[in-house]
Amino acid sequence: MELKIPRVLLLLLLVAVAALISLSSAASPTADDLVAELETLRSQSPSGVIHFDDSSVARFLTSAPLPRPYSLLVFFGASKPDHHLRRLRSEFALVSSSFAAHHASSRRVFFCDLEYQESESSFSLFGVTSLPDIRHVGPQHRSLRDSDRMDQSDFSGLAASMAQFVEAKTSLPVGPIVRPSLISPRQIAFLAVALLISAPFLIKRILEGKTMLHDRRLWMGLTVSVYFLGVAGLMHNIIHKIPMYVKDRKDPNRLIFFVKGFGMQLGAEGFAVGFLYTIVGLIVAFATHVLVRMRNEAVQRGFLLAAMLVVFWAVRKVIYLHNWKTGYTVHTFWPTRWR
Amino acid sequence: MMAIAEAKGASALRNAFGGILGVFILLLIGIFAFSIRLFSVIKYESVIHEFDPYFNYRVTQYLTNNGIYDFWNWFDDRTWYPLGRAIGGTVYPGLTLTAGSMWWLLNSLNIPLSVETVCVFTAPIFSANAAWATYLLTKEVKGTGAGLTAAALLAMVPSYISRSVAGSYDNEAVAIFALILTFYFYVKTLNSGSLFYATLNALSYFYMVCSWGGYTFIINLIPMHVLLCIVTGRYSSRLYIAYAPLVVLGTLLASLVPVVGFNTVMTSEHFSSFLVFVIIHMVALVYYIKGILSPKMFKVAMTLAVTIGLTVCCAVIAIFIASVASSPTKGWSGRSLSLLDPTYASKYIPIIASVSEHQPPTWPLYFVDINVLAFLVPAGIIACFSPLSDASSFMILYLAISAYFSGVMVRLMLVLAPAACVMSGIALSEAFDVFTRSIKFQAGDINSESSIAQNDVSNVDSNATTDKSETVSKEPSRKNHEKEKEQEIVKKVTSKSQNGKKLLVLPQEVSAVVILLLIALGGFYVGHCVWTTATAYSAPAIVLKSYTPDGLRVFDDFREAYAWLQHNTDVDDKVASWWDYGYQITAMANRTVIVDNNTWNNTHIATVGAAVSSPEKAAWEIFNSLDVKYVLVVFGGLVGYPSDDIDKFIWMVRIAGGVFPHIREQDYLRDGRYHIDAHATPTMLNCLMYKLSYYRFVETEAEGFDKVRRTEIGNKKFELTHFEEAFTTEHWMVRIYKLKLPKNRIQGKLKNKSSSETYSSNQTRARNTRRNPWQ
Repeated sequence: MELKIPRVLLLLLLVAVAALISLSSAASPTADDLVAELETLRSQSPSGVIHFDDSSVARFLTSAPLPRPYSLLVFFGASKPDHHLRRLRSEFALVSSSFAAHHASSRRVFFCDLEYQESESSFSLFGVTSLPDIRHVGPQHRSLRDSDRMDQSDFSGLAASMAQFVEAKTSLPVGPIVRPSLISPRQIAFLAVALLISAPFLIKRILEGKTMLHDRRLWMGLTVSVYFLGVAGLMHNIIHKIPMYVKDRKDPNRLIFFVKGFGMQLGAEGFAVGFLYTIVGLIVAFATHVLVRMRNEAVQRGFLLAAMLVVFWAVRKVIYLHNWKTGYTVHTFWPTRWR
Repeated sequence: MMAIAEAKGASALRNAFGGILGVFILLLIGIFAFSIRLFSVIKYESVIHEFDPYFNYRVTQYLTNNGIYDFWNWFDDRTWYPLGRAIGGTVYPGLTLTAGSMWWLLNSLNIPLSVETVCVFTAPIFSANAAWATYLLTKEVKGTGAGLTAAALLAMVPSYISRSVAGSYDNEAVAIFALILTFYFYVKTLNSGSLFYATLNALSYFYMVCSWGGYTFIINLIPMHVLLCIVTGRYSSRLYIAYAPLVVLGTLLASLVPVVGFNTVMTSEHFSSFLVFVIIHMVALVYYIKGILSPKMFKVAMTLAVTIGLTVCCAVIAIFIASVASSPTKGWSGRSLSLLDPTYASKYIPIIASVSEHQPPTWPLYFVDINVLAFLVPAGIIACFSPLSDASSFMILYLAISAYFSGVMVRLMLVLAPAACVMSGIALSEAFDVFTRSIKFQAGDINSESSIAQNDVSNVDSNATTDKSETVSKEPSRKNHEKEKEQEIVKKVTSKSQNGKKLLVLPQEVSAVVILLLIALGGFYVGHCVWTTATAYSAPAIVLKSYTPDGLRVFDDFREAYAWLQHNTDVDDKVASWWDYGYQITAMANRTVIVDNNTWNNTHIATVGAAVSSPEKAAWEIFNSLDVKYVLVVFGGLVGYPSDDIDKFIWMVRIAGGVFPHIREQDYLRDGRYHIDAHATPTMLNCLMYKLSYYRFVETEAEGFDKVRRTEIGNKKFELTHFEEAFTTEHWMVRIYKLKLPKNRIQGKLKNKSSSETYSSNQTRARNTRRNPWQ
């Protein structure tokens, strides 16, 4: 008995829902009305991305008659998006506007976005549990859970892979992605004119040799910092988007700055070791070029002693860290006979 | 007078003695550079390493057997069957020609060495050459002492050793020498203004172009330096002589290399050199006019020229931008683009991003590859700035650019290594100079005069180049009064500093301790280099060793398999394997392969990938359509050799899926992970790679336990229907299968029915409905 009641209830519910759907579809506007409505909504948005909520999901997706005369691309967002999600949202808008530019008329593909705080129930309708998520709801999709989901791996490719996804699902080409340039044409023209006007003065100054470019210290600082950033593995951190530090999983209050393993490093770790690499050379250079010119022997002696300590510490620290990280130790390589 | 003559004689004697000692040290450095690379020969044997060197070896063999003209026109039909490959036009011939001429020379001197021996020892010989070239380069920048130190450091820098141990017969081995030599000639021309060295510079650049695709680094670095000199007001006629002949002669010579050809004028990598070529001519013209006109007239002419020049310049740049923008990658190759914008490759070109050599390095890698040099480089940079000369500014630029590039790609650590050696050599030599001077000066109070004279030898030497450059620059460029005054001041300062050098000392006892510490640092470097060379970089990858409690075990399975192929198969049989082993099969077994390590045709590779990721029957059809007789797989599960074909299988699936959409990566993954155990998907368990790897695996002592994946395999007992085992090596590392002959029609149909039931995925079933031409 305990089991049967829910089943009966469920059955009833199902019948009721089916009846409701059939009723609503009977009462709902025709397909053309829906398309016209969507088109007006789209024209109101600058990028062509329609903002959806629960009611519009019900109107255009759940209650629309099958097959729907349009397909929808839904971007799932949050009201307080993090940096990555915000970026993806703008890329999504970019795909939408590129699509709009490529298909001037009669396009039955609509781009829309949903926000979690506003339309929580729609999220559960789609079965979206984690962000970012992009779904394609084709004309034939009855249940929103069956809608095509964009692969997580495709998000790294940004607009280009989103466009591929759209092309694969709708079999309509998105066309070239039109990225708005960082500076507008007017600004470019202004910059060009400014450059043209200033060029004779700049050339004159360069010929006279009185620019910052002639300052030796600037170049020295620049070279040393390029070297520092190189050995600190900055490029590694940029390319793989490595954070400066991570939180310990076991103890969230503890921060981890150093990780083991040869092929990986954290941001702060790289800078710390890069600093150690650089400081030794700078101290040696200071001793050989600046300290020798000092007259006071006590200062020289004191500084050299301190410098030796620092250099010794830095080199040992790097050797120790390297050993800790990779398990590598240096051995002398003697012939077996000598041992 | 007598005293002066005596002093002169003494200093001449000292110079002569120093010269001989220097030559002796250089000789020792050369021997050291050569012998440290022999660990691989002593610990293993005189054998060519890894994959690409086998191809180079094969090309060299062809060259020595057939001569240069046949080599130039060689169309290789043993590879990329049925497409073949035009070798003459697609390889950098520098390495091959070098080794070939070395072999020819030795043979004409009646020293009968085999081609293989010459190939094995080419890299060590050229490392010694590279050390000597480093000496020359550093000597031009900062004098003999720094040169010797830098040469010694380069002789054993691990980054370079990793590419040049005996047996690693690859382009980089000679290219690094060519790179340093080109830089030496450039700096030498810059210091001397001699057209003779400029010509040599173009020739060594030509050698570099012949040897390695990395020549684009040179043709961008040198223009950058020239531009930097112009912008910072260091233009001189020596700069012009160093640069203009290089561009003209170098470009003409480079376009003679077939693999480069018209790229020298058509790709964006070379455009910067032409742009700077135009600029340097304009600047030269300005300096010339400045010399013949009065200052007032010059001002008028200048304003006129600048306005006309700018309009022309704008028009040219507009045309240039329009032509470049019309190509999709803006005329740059993917690799170069990923250097300029490091995030480019990871975004758009997965094939470049996936190669481990193209990953950005982390800090431990710097420690392994350049070790303590990483500490010394900043000191070298600062030493190069005091005083700044044309030559030292070039080294600074070289270091900065290569430090940035090495940060983007691990592979380019190799380009950073010479710069780091030169910089560290300069730093070490300056430090030793200061600290030994401090000890000596204070020790010999009585004999101070002579000790100062002695010490000054090196100072004069190191300052000589800069002084010379300043005096030479004065004459041809006709600088104005202001400049001359400035120079006088500079001269006064330098002479003052030389007089003051008597007092430029540090406390004696502390200096002694510092010297000891520096020696300890150097000792650590030597220890590290020797140890890493002996342990990490000397393994040939074709023969493997492992130390077990029972003692040393040697795995020579690869050569066993290739020898089997050579002796037991027909000379025209085609062998299919994953592309990693293509070069080795053609070189060692002399059999035709379908794909090899020159991955120029992605579709062909994807076809092989599709075959090994399909079920047996479909795979048989693909292989049969390519005339394949034997399939070779590498399997490490029995002995625990980690980089086998099962390990690479996910890449095969990915590459195949990129071309053949019916191969889907998801079919091979369970919960996003790659399994070969009981959780493996049916597609995985039925694919050819799984079957060929694990066929009869349960009969071994491992009883179906894969040592690499540390798990029991999912499907233990199965029979092969379309393939038969032809040969399995001693440790099961290489397994060779033969394609079964097509069955009779009726039998085939029956077989098909029974076997198709085991196929689970719908797609394979759909494929099975396609008719096999043999049935």
